[in-house]
Amino acid sequence: MKLAVLVLLAALPVVQEFGSLDPTPVRTHQFVAYQSEQLVVKAGKTAMLELRFHVEDGYHVNSHLPKSELQIPTKVELVAENGVKVSTASYPAGNLYVPSFDPNEKLDVYSGQFTVSVPVLASAGNHELKGTLKYQACDRAACYPAKTLPITVIFTAK
Amino acid sequence: MLAEQRCAVGDRLDVYRKRMNDVGSSWKRSALVMVTLIVGVTLLIWAGVRNGRDRKLAMQRAQDQQNSQAALIPDAATRAGGDSGNGITPQLQGKAAPEFSLVDLSGKKVTLAELKGKPVIVNFWATWCAPCKIEMPWFEEFNKKYSSQGLVILGIAADPIGKSAISKTAEKLGVTYPILLVDDKVEAAYGGINYLPQTFYVDKSGKVMLETAGLNGDSGGKDEIEANIKKLMNAGGQ
Repeated sequence: MKLAVLVLLAALPVVQEFGSLDPTPVRTHQFVAYQSEQLVVKAGKTAMLELRFHVEDGYHVNSHLPKSELQIPTKVELVAENGVKVSTASYPAGNLYVPSFDPNEKLDVYSGQFTVSVPVLASAGNHELKGTLKYQACDRAACYPAKTLPITVIFTAK
Repeated sequence: MLAEQRCAVGDRLDVYRKRMNDVGSSWKRSALVMVTLIVGVTLLIWAGVRNGRDRKLAMQRAQDQQNSQAALIPDAATRAGGDSGNGITPQLQGKAAPEFSLVDLSGKKVTLAELKGKPVIVNFWATWCAPCKIEMPWFEEFNKKYSSQGLVILGIAADPIGKSAISKTAEKLGVTYPILLVDDKVEAAYGGINYLPQTFYVDKSGKVMLETAGLNGDSGGKDEIEANIKKLMNAGGQ
């Protein structure tokens, strides 16, 4: 009997590993995709969550620090949950983009892949943080109103 | 004596039988618990594995869906092609231009209805839109060149940033034609304004002769805009 209970307890982490996390951690959007992946950080210590995004080919979005105050910066916001403390995100430097129609205009943008690092302090276990990526995209001839991409960050603290 | 011995043996046998029954039922109970646990654990593991697999599939589906949505976005090259100078599916071309009543930066009310009989260019733009700011000095140049012939150019700032920043940007770009402040109604009436710049050429009869979105080619399409203006001046009768 005791052995059977031990077997059941031993099986629980396996079940937790696969069964406790809800599906569909990724939401869709038009110009930028969040590349959802299983992230693992150290529990009880401040650790970086590396959030990877992909800008659709042919488009670019303003960096977090665009050259003009009129341009809308890319920004990640994550909502803290029980057992997880979220600190200010750090962003990669943008790339210089000079539109073909105006060589004097110099923009600071992300295109292709970019990664935003978010420091978190989490207790041991599986966590799910909801948040958003705010960005404004353009292509070589037009710009698109600012968008909000809902994201779900799933990670395990060990 | 013999009867007593028989009784004692019988009692022992009863005790033995009872013990055997207890042992048997205990074994049955343990076996049942074991089987239940094994089935339970198997089900839990199966559910976990299946959930994990579903999760991977959901992630894959989400990525696929995202890719297919992105493919729906009209490419700039497509927009810039076509016989009308843009490749968008025109929503209003050939139809009556939606009426609007907006205020300009000085607070003066401007309606499209009051401009009937004149060729009108309605240009949607925003302070954060680099291609828009390329076109606007061209529109200013054409405003000076063709306003004596009746051309009216209106810029509509599709931008929630506020009047002050809009005004500063227009001033910096040297724009003197009226800049109107957007409202939700006009955006919806003109197709949602999902990309900028977007320009509607409204002829003297109040019909949309042409609608364009984005710049055209590496040069931006200044010559094409002027060609469109010349066409607009002659469209709509009178």
